[in-house]
Parts: sequence; C-alpha cells; structure tokens
Amino acid sequence: MSERKIGVYVCQCGGNISDYVDVERVREAVSGDPDVTVTRTAMFTCSDATQQEIIDDIKAQDLDGLVVASCSPKLHTFTFRGVAKRAGLNPYRYTQVNIREQDSWAHTDDHEAATEKAIRLVKAGIARTRLLEPLDPTVVETVPKALVIGAGVAGLRAAIGLADIGLGVVVIEKEAEVGGWVKEFGPMFPHERDGRDLIEQLLGEARRRENIVIFTSAELVRKAGSFGNYEVDIRTRGASNMTRRLEVGSIIVATGVDSYQPAEGEYGYGIEGVVTLPEFKRMVDSATGPLTHLGRPVRDVAYIYCVGSRQGESGPNQYCSRFCCTSAVHTSLELQGKDPTAHQYHLYRDMRTYGRYELLYDESREKGAVYLKFPADRPPEVTRAPGGKLEVAVQDQLTSQEELRLPVDLVVLVTGMVPRQNSELVARLKLPIGRDGFFNEIHPKLRPVETVVDGVAICGACQFPKTASESVTSGLAAVAWSAAMLKQGRAELDPQVATVDPELCTWCGACADTCPYAAIGQLDLGGGRLVATIDPSTCKGCGGCVPICPQHAISVLGYTGREVEAMIDSLAAEVA
Amino acid sequence: MDYDVLVVGSGIGGMESALKLGDMGYKVLVVEKEASVGGKMILLSKVFPTLDCASCISTPKMAATIHHPNITVMTYAEVERIRRDGDGHFEATIRQNPRFVDEAACTGCQLCELACTVAVPDQFNADMVSRRAAYIPFPQAVPKKAVIDRPGTSPCTFDCPAGIKAHGYVSLARSGEYEKAFNLVLESTPLVGSLGRACFAPCEDGCSRGSLEGPLPIRLIKRFVADTHYQSGVPLGVEAAEPRGQRVAVVGSGPAGITAAWQLALLGYGVKVFEAAPVAGGALGLTIPSYRLPGEVVAQDLGNVEAIGVEIEVGHRVDDLESLHDEGFEAVLVATGTPRSASLGVPGEELAGVMPSLQFLQASKLGQAAELAGKRVVVVGGGNVAIDAARSARRLGATAVDEVCLEARAEMPAFDWEVDEALEEGVTLHDGWGIAAVLGTHGVEGIDLKRCTAVFDEARRFSPTYDETVRQTLACDVVIVAIGMGPDTAAFSPTLDRRGNGALVVDPQTLQSRVPHIFACGDVVDGATMITTAVGQGRRAAYMIDRYLQGQPFAADQYELRVPRVDPVDVLRRQKSHSHKDPLGSGKALVAEPSDFHEIEAPLSEAQVHYSAGRCLDCGVCSECQECVAACPADAIHLDMQPQQVVASVASVVVSTGFKLFPADLKPQYGFGRFKNVITGMQMDRLLAPTRPFNTVLRPGDGRVPDRIAYVMCTGSRDQTVGNPLCSRICCMYSIKQNQLIMGALPLADVTVFTIDVRTAGKGYDEFYVQAAAMGTNFIKGRIAEIRELENGNLVLRYEDIEHQGALREAEFDLVVLAVGVQPNLDTKGLFGDGSLQHDAYYYVEEIDEDMNPGQTSIPGVYVAGAASGAKDIPESILHAGAAVAQAAAHVEAVRVGA
Repeated sequence: MSERKIGVYVCQCGGNISDYVDVERVREAVSGDPDVTVTRTAMFTCSDATQQEIIDDIKAQDLDGLVVASCSPKLHTFTFRGVAKRAGLNPYRYTQVNIREQDSWAHTDDHEAATEKAIRLVKAGIARTRLLEPLDPTVVETVPKALVIGAGVAGLRAAIGLADIGLGVVVIEKEAEVGGWVKEFGPMFPHERDGRDLIEQLLGEARRRENIVIFTSAELVRKAGSFGNYEVDIRTRGASNMTRRLEVGSIIVATGVDSYQPAEGEYGYGIEGVVTLPEFKRMVDSATGPLTHLGRPVRDVAYIYCVGSRQGESGPNQYCSRFCCTSAVHTSLELQGKDPTAHQYHLYRDMRTYGRYELLYDESREKGAVYLKFPADRPPEVTRAPGGKLEVAVQDQLTSQEELRLPVDLVVLVTGMVPRQNSELVARLKLPIGRDGFFNEIHPKLRPVETVVDGVAICGACQFPKTASESVTSGLAAVAWSAAMLKQGRAELDPQVATVDPELCTWCGACADTCPYAAIGQLDLGGGRLVATIDPSTCKGCGGCVPICPQHAISVLGYTGREVEAMIDSLAAEVA
Repeated sequence: MDYDVLVVGSGIGGMESALKLGDMGYKVLVVEKEASVGGKMILLSKVFPTLDCASCISTPKMAATIHHPNITVMTYAEVERIRRDGDGHFEATIRQNPRFVDEAACTGCQLCELACTVAVPDQFNADMVSRRAAYIPFPQAVPKKAVIDRPGTSPCTFDCPAGIKAHGYVSLARSGEYEKAFNLVLESTPLVGSLGRACFAPCEDGCSRGSLEGPLPIRLIKRFVADTHYQSGVPLGVEAAEPRGQRVAVVGSGPAGITAAWQLALLGYGVKVFEAAPVAGGALGLTIPSYRLPGEVVAQDLGNVEAIGVEIEVGHRVDDLESLHDEGFEAVLVATGTPRSASLGVPGEELAGVMPSLQFLQASKLGQAAELAGKRVVVVGGGNVAIDAARSARRLGATAVDEVCLEARAEMPAFDWEVDEALEEGVTLHDGWGIAAVLGTHGVEGIDLKRCTAVFDEARRFSPTYDETVRQTLACDVVIVAIGMGPDTAAFSPTLDRRGNGALVVDPQTLQSRVPHIFACGDVVDGATMITTAVGQGRRAAYMIDRYLQGQPFAADQYELRVPRVDPVDVLRRQKSHSHKDPLGSGKALVAEPSDFHEIEAPLSEAQVHYSAGRCLDCGVCSECQECVAACPADAIHLDMQPQQVVASVASVVVSTGFKLFPADLKPQYGFGRFKNVITGMQMDRLLAPTRPFNTVLRPGDGRVPDRIAYVMCTGSRDQTVGNPLCSRICCMYSIKQNQLIMGALPLADVTVFTIDVRTAGKGYDEFYVQAAAMGTNFIKGRIAEIRELENGNLVLRYEDIEHQGALREAEFDLVVLAVGVQPNLDTKGLFGDGSLQHDAYYYVEEIDEDMNPGQTSIPGVYVAGAASGAKDIPESILHAGAAVAQAAAHVEAVRVGA
C-alpha cells in the first residue's frame, strides 16, 4: 500500500559516480518501492535543467518527498532544499544520499560492491524520507552590529566598511594602541604607501564615523547567544578595569600574526650583525642615507630567504609565508635607494614575487642586486669572519654550483610569519585551527573568511600570512559576509534541531552539561516539575544530547529515533 | 529597469559579488557575455589545493545566482556602454544578443545539437573537440538552454540576391542530406536545377576559401542536389498550405514570375501564370542556350511549380491587366521581363540577315534556328547574351564567328570566363570597335567598324566616342545584334506608370504599383539583371502580395531580417589552422569547333560533392539549414530573432570580467598549433575534467595514452619577449594540481615540470607542492629554449639544466603541456566609452588605492572584482569580490541618502 509519493534521483556526477556505480541499476532497484513515485538518473542532478525537471515532477506528480543520491550533503543539501521549495514541497522532506564521497570515490576498485552499497544507501534515504514531517525554518531577528577583534589594518578597514553599510561596529584591540604591525612600517610595497600614514588615515576615518566604537587594551571574555544575536563581554584594562556587556550580530576576528623568531644559532642568529626581516625593515625605514650597524658602515648585505618557512625536517613550519620574498626584495630596493653603492646578495630557494610583485624583483636585479639560488638540502651557513665581517657560505645553483664565500656586514634573515598564540580567544570562540596553526576557514576555496562557528569570520593574517593590502581585502570580504548576514535584519535558521519531550524528561541536567553550544536550559513547568528546554536558535542539531538522555526524551527533528532506525534497517536489509 | 548594482561578468568573482549583494538585500543585475554563467572555473577539472571537483563546487553557486530572488541574470548579453548620469546613478546600455532560441520554451533536450549540420571547435573544451552550431555550452550550463551560434551570415548566403541559404545546402550536402538540401533551396525558389547551371553564382565570389585555395563550387553542389532529386523520382518534399480561396495571376513565367507563383502557391493561394511565349521559363526556357541549360532541366523545375497546383498557360499574352481582376484574380503580378532586343540604329540594319539576339537564341533553343553551316556570323555586343549568341552560332555550324564590342576586353560586361570559353570555342573577338553600318545590298555582306575611343564619359555614363578615321570591314552573312534588352510594356499604359525605357514604376520596397492590387517585379522593373536577382524580387513580391491580401501592413523593413554578413577576416582568424584543400578543376569539356548543344559542364560526382562541401569553412557558423528548427519539439528555435537593447539604471557597478589565457601560439618556439601533442594547461584541465572530451588523458595527435609528460612553466608569463613581465600566479599551482591528477589517472606516467621558481605561496600551497614531488613529479630547474617534433609525434625539449652547470640538454616526451599564463580581458576598455575607467600599464583595470580600498577604480561607484584587475586564483577572487561589494554596498547607501 502506497502512503507516500517520493521522487528519487540518482546522479552520475558526469562520471564521478557513474564510472564506478551502475546508476541505472540503483534506479531500478528502488523503482519498485510502493512509496516511490518517480525515479530518474541524471548526468548532473545539480544542473539547472535537472533541477527544473525535478520541480516539474514534484508539481506534476504531487510528490511529498524527495531523495537525491549524489555527492556530500555539504555540497548540495541547500541546492535541493531550494528545488523542493521552488516546487512547493517542504524543503525538510528532502534527503541527500551521499553515493560519491562515501561510495564511488571510496570503492573505485569494486564496481559491483559500490553499486550494491549505493542501493543500500539510497534505500536508507528513502526509509528516512518516508517518515519525514514538514518543518518550518526558525526565523530570528538579527542585531545590526558587528564586533571586530583586532585593530590592525584588516580590523580597522573592516570596521569602516561595516559602518559605511549602516551597521554598528565595536572594535576591540588587545594592545594599548591600534595599528598592529603596519603602524611600525615605513614605505610598503608595491605602492610605497607609508604604513604609519595608512594607519593614521584609517584611524581618522574610523573616528569620523559615529557608529564605530573602539576599545583598546580590551579583550573578549565571554560570548553567548545564537545566530545573529550574540552577547559578548568586553573587558578593558587600564585606569578603570571594567567589563561591558554588548549585543552583536556577528564577530570578525582580525587578530593578526607574529613574526618568526629564529632560534639562537639558526643561520647564525645571535651573532652580531645577523638580523630578522622586521628588524632590518626598521633599520632601513629609519635610515636617511647609507646604513650603519653598531657604528660600522654596512657595505655588503646578504639576505637568507625562507627562514622559519618551508622548514621540511628542520622545523615545524611547512608552509610558505607568502609575503616575505616580496617584502625582502622591496626592503632591499629601499636600501638601494638610500645607498646605491651597497652590495646586496639574495640567497633564495624559489623567488616568490607573485603577480605584479615580479616587477620589484626585475627592478632589483636591474639595479644590481645579486641573486643566488641555494638548494633546500644545503642551506647557507653564517659565521663570524676576521675583521668584524660576517661570512656567508652558499652553493649557487644558477652558476657553477661551487660554494661561494661572501664577506658581508649584515645578514638579513628573511623571516616569515607565524600564528599568534591566542588560546583564550580560541577557547571562547571555539575557533578552528588548521595544521599550520593559523585559523581555519570553512572552505579554503569558496568561503575563505567564514568559519564553522556560526556568526564568526576570520580575516587578515590570522588566517594565513598576507600583505597589508591582502589583509585589507580579506577584511572587506568579512564585511561583505557580515552585511549579507545582518543587513536584512532577519535570518532563517535550520529547524532540524533537538527537542525535548517534556512528558519523558525528568531533568537530570546531563544534556545541558554536554551541549557544546549552551543551548539547553531548565524550564519550570510548575509544581516543582523541571524539564530541559532547548533554544532552537542556539541548537545546531548536532545530536550530542540525544544518546546522553537516560529517558530517551530528546530527538533531533529530521533525525528522530524512528527515522534513524528505519535507515539502519534498510541499510542492513538484504539487497534483492 | 532600476537596480542597485550592475555586475558585469559571472565568473566566480561576479557570482560571489552578486550573491553577497543579493543576500544584503540589494537588487542586482548580472550581465554575462556567454550563454551560461560560471566563467572559467566551471570548466576546470579540480581546484587546488583541496582537489574539490570544480563542477561540484561551482554549480551550487551558479544555481544560487540564477535563482536568487534579488538577482536578475542576463546571459548571452553584453554591456555596450555605461555612462554616469546626473544624480549619482549610472546608465548601462546592454545588448541582449539573440540566442535564436526561446529560452522559456527550450527544455535543454539537445535534439537541435543532434540535428545540426555544422561542427566548429568547442571553445568550452579548449578547442580539442567539436561542438555544433546549435549547442548548449556545457553539461552543467546555467541556464541549460540551447543557443544557435551565428556570429554573422555566411558570405555565400548573404551575397545571394535570391536569398537562397547557400551555406545551408552546402552543409546539408556535406552530411549527405541531398534531399533536404534540395528542399532548402525550394524554400526560396523551385528553380533548383536551372540555378545549378545558369546562375552566375555570386555566392562563390565571397567564399572565404576563395582567399585560400579557391572557392567552393557552390553552384555545382546545387546542381548535384537537383540532379539527384530529379533522378531519384522522390516526390516533391514540400506541400502547399491549405487553400485560402484567393487567386493570384502572375503575368510572365521567367525566374521572377515563377518564383513568386511558387511562393504564393505554397501559402495556399490559387495561382495562374500567363506566358506569352510558347514555352514557359522566360530566359531559362527561351534564351539561355541548351549547352548551358538544357530545356529538360527547366521543365523539371517548372514541374515543381505545377506539382503544388500552379497552372501555367503558355502562348497567352496578357495586355489588359484590369480584366484579370474581373476574372477573379485578387492580385496581379507583372513579371514580363525584358523580351525586346535593342537595335543598333545604323544604316543597313534593315537588311535580311540582321537579327536580334533574343530572337536568334529563342529559335536556337527551340530547335527552329536556320542552319548557319558555311556562314560567316558577326555578333555585336560585349555582354553575356552576346557570348551566348556567338557560341550558339558556332554550334549551328558558322564557319567564322566574329564578336564585335565597344569595350576593350577588360571592360566587357560579360564574365571573363565566358569570354575565355567563347574564344576557346573558336570565336574571334574584335574589342574596342563600334558599328558604322551594316553593308550589303539585298542581304548582309559585311559590317563596317569604327574605332571606339571611350565607352563611358567622366561620370561613368554610357556615352561612346569614336575615331571615325580608324575603320575596319568584316565580311559576313549574318549579323546578330546583342546590345541590350528592354521591357515590352506599352500595352500596360496607362493603367501603370512607366519609365522612358518602358520599365514599370512600383514602390521599390513593396513592389506595389499605383493600382493597389497590381504588383510588378523582376527585369520589367529593374531592367536586365541576373537570374538570382529576379528570383529574389519574385520572393519579395510574393511576400508583399500575401501581406496585401491578408490586409496586413507591408512592414517592408521587416522582410527577410538577416544577421549582418560575417567578417571574412574573423573567419580566417578563427581557423587557427585549416587543412589545405585544393579546389576541383573545371569540369567543362571545351572544343574549338563545338557541333551540338550538349551540356558542356560535367556534373560533380558524389565523392566530389563530399570533398568540395567538406572544404566549407562554415563562415557564419550556423548554416541556416533549418534542421534544428525542424528537430525542436518545443518550436523554440527562431532564426529571425533580433538583438534587443536594454537600458538599466544602477547606483554602482562591479566589473568582474575576468581574464584571458595567454595564446600559446605567440611562443612559436614551443610549436603550439603546429605540433599536435603540445597542449595548453587549460586543455589538460579539460582532459582531466569530469566532463572530459575523451574520458581519459590522451594526446591529441594520435589518441595514444602518454607515458612521459612535460610541463613548460611560465609560458607567456615573466617573459619580456611577449610583453608580459608579470607572474601569472595561478600556473604553478594548477600545474601541480594536474600533476597529481595525472598520477592518479595514469599511474605509470612520468611527469616532469621545467621551472625556474616554484611559486606556491598560499595556504596549503607549498604543502601541495611537496606532496606532488613526493608522489613522483620530477621538478627540473630549467628554461625551455625550443621544442622539436619527431615523426612519431613525440617532442624533444631543449633546455638549460640549471642544476647541472647550465648544460644544454635534450629530453624526449610524449606530451607537452604549456602552463599558459594570464592576460587581461580587454573588454573592460570599452565599458565606459569616455576612457574614464583607468587601466594600468598592463591593461588591467587599475585599482587606484589598493592599500586602503582594494577594488576601487578611477570612477567613484565603480569597483573591480577578481582577475579583471590582475591575475588571481579562486579564493583571491572571492576575497576581492567581497572587498568590491563591501564598497559597492557602501556606495549604494551613500547614493540613497544623497551623499
């Protein structure tokens, strides 16, 4: 007896699935199910044309459930919920079955088994869909205000951008002064913009805007709330230690980076005359003519690249720090401008002056700087030489491969960036950290400022080393993300969250203890009867509370116990 | 149309811009030049360093863009110009190019693609395979709607005065669809066989092959198609519409009259044709000699007309046009041509033995001409009719045929090849002579010639001058006068207005005379023209008569709307390499003493048709063969669609027009375009993509799976010799991505990358590089000097081995991938016609304050997003788009409050 009218669509994914799974057999295997009204296969189910076909089917056959067997739900759940919605079907009566990441890609060596697994997975999806009830999204009003953490170049620019779109902004800076790294710099590449001036200008612009408030010597000490409605506590130090409680709709993290600090003895670090790139940049910025170091003229300078980056077996940092090649070349040009007769030797592995920055590299070589390429497995060695000089031994791959010994006055270690330690902030915001130690975005390709934490974005160099203008760009991208979330004043949230059956709940508190989002509270039903209650706009539907409950009083909408059991039964059943 | 923001371009930067703005609540208009949104990203295999399938992560963005409630997307549209108006807004003029497919009706079923007879390189597969002229850009296209690719009308079709779709029947013949080709010509005229022989083929003059090895024999292909049909005995493939009950009389059965009768009968009118001569067909039936156009062929063509119910009455001269109306004909078309030969007006013209050319040719064609055996004939005139007369005289046995004309050889109105053929058949030409008198007493004995010093005056008007002192006499027995023809319209006066030369006066657009139901067309209006011109006028007349009889406005400017003629320069540029294909030689067997009227031109064999049609370069891409129109189950294809102009007012503009890839043939030492196994990075991406053309990685030269694959980095980047010193940022990473995918697809293949610096400066990028090296990619520090091709298609790379004392080395590979770099998309230069959108020294859109306001351009309110401002990878483009729209939104807010 047929009770439901479900449409099932099996995707070929242009070969990603159909090269390993016989999609036609999958379709046939479920077409006899009395609750299944339509079955089809498609080259790309996500394509516009197939979406339209599904819409037409839903309307024409009056379907009340939809199953698409394709890729990961991470990719297309929203796509097909949208399809259902456009066709007038409740979007929560949709199930995405993953037969790509969890099947075809995993079983490229066994087509038969992959096909059988796909059939089981699709049947389980149908079993769930059969029991799905319509749900309506939770609508929340959002607070038109953002919190920006960090007042470096990215954070300041983000604050101005938010204010200009009409959102309120609170900026907090841990230090007593705003401006981060950039406020310490003189001319920066590639436009010779003075870092100090840039920060001054940004700060001036920020101060002109009434809807920006900046707190220095300030930290986030608490965050609570749900999507678009966060309660944050800001503690300021100084003359009057105080904590303010604020409501914000989103949080932008722009906490910046630290510079790599070489160990004693690393490329001669610790020897008089061996300096890091930031130290050298300050020396050059403040010089008015030829450089002197400790009273001695600097005639010959050697730069050693990739210090603290691409360390291989010699250190933990496997990443390329991106900005340092160009920064070193640019600083070298700056010195060249102040002292055209200085000899400059650049000892590098791969010169990564990407994009337009290549022009600086060209200019540097034209002006006489010498570039020597050393092999990764034979790094240069720095030693003290007689007569107050330093000696750098390097094997140059570009010429004779012979070891050269360069007598120099100064060795610049071209140090990269390293993640800043912000363990308290990380803990409070539950910020995800990547294997390189920088904050992780939700998707490095398409969603580079969003994080897996709702309402929290990252920008600037806390995500990965960036130039100043790249930091500003990502700061503004975080503005766009924030405005897309808050500008309309309301948002629709996924209703597939946990609910408590008050008839069953006996309030033991175990669920509230386990909830990572603090979504569960206590409700007094009167007469001393306490039960758990779950805030639907805070709950993520993770389901962590469900197995904890001794009374089986909690279920996640869309994944109720009945639904999950039906899926398991289907998965385990014989494949005909 | 009012929007908050215009986004130009819908690649990843454009889509991100539109989606973010739409989510903020702003109304966005996206204009995309291609037929689908998605830009370049959707064409990629996977993306670095996550190895996500590019299709899989692009399609949600594409679908979200097109379905977003705040976003309107125009695909296949171009922003023509944007100008600032007074109140802080921009006015954008957008051209919606016609897809020739009704988007609402198209279901994306692709039956049109299957039916299409034209294949061109598929730009969405980096030209590695073909697509059809009717096509859906790629399987994941959004919207998934067909488009008919028509950059212009093919020259052959455009130049045909009869409006015959020459390219169409050539492409059908190429596909072996001869009957369909025949039917396509029938859409214009029933005179398929006649035109296949007697047409002077203006189609061939403009043929783009003509500028290479020589034009296609388009006319002979048509002849083959006609002969094939007539020999097959297949019944006529077209039918007249339901009878309308209205009758039309056509006076004259020449090409114009017959074509009009055909068209009107197809529309369902009852048509009767009146012909004064004993044989129908006008010039075709009467005066074009049988050796060029046999009478049977004309009869076959006329049979088509009769087969759909047209009545042709020969030997019925109509002088009283009004009476036809009384007989029940609701409209009358006069197409009586130019049946009168002009006379010389010299002494002796009245002598026996002097005859007008048309009379001579008609007698000759009907087999009634006197024998000319032993006679000496002089033909007077330098046009094609004179040539016909002279060559006919040779065939009737004349011992000598002298042709006399005023013009010097080079100026003769006859076609050059006609003159050549006449000479080859023994005709003697006396060019530059006028006639002083015909000599003789009872009959012609000779002709007195005087030197013509000029035929035209300074204004190029016909006004011959002579040197009376220079004379020549030719002895002869017969003089045939072929110096022009004129209409015979005296009887139509005063009903119709006439010019001095007898030509009828009608509205040149509607062909209507001053009597509303009487129309006239063809040579009786225009004077002697070509057959195809007359056919074209006959079609026009039929269209206008139909409009008249249906009581509709003529709307003559809407008649036969066509796409402009394609620029032949573009056609040849598009053919990056065409295979050399020589034309066939002339199939004419000419003898010095022709003795009969057998057709002199041999037909093409089927193999010759196939070869010749295969030489077609498909200039206009779509051949208008109508196969898609017939195949479309939704009736969605309309080849008469016109471009539409849309004007939109917006508060801000985001320019996200992306980039171009470096054209690899600009590095000739790498052999791209010459060596088939040298491909570009984009081509390799296509070979690896889920929608890949060959379902595996193979080398295009011979389809072999390559064992040794080389990458040449920095092709077109960091290279002053091609004017681009910039690093393209993406090539190192996309190549390393491909290395990893190749090692997955071809586990046994060796991959070698020739590079100077490996630039993997991004999150997870250097790790990705290390991973590729660990998987087995061999990175060699070396610059490629030159690539050489071996006979087996393998390639030898000559390079400087930097890690080994810079020694010059050579290495052999099966396949070479050029890691082509990024170039600016110059489309941005024209967006703001006044040049106010500044570009940098490398023609990218300039960001005037990159440190503080990345994406801001020289025009307040206009922002640039993505690679339009310089090379960027996908996340950089996304971030840049975010920066652009954050500022665009701020600008919209400022405009709203009037700041």
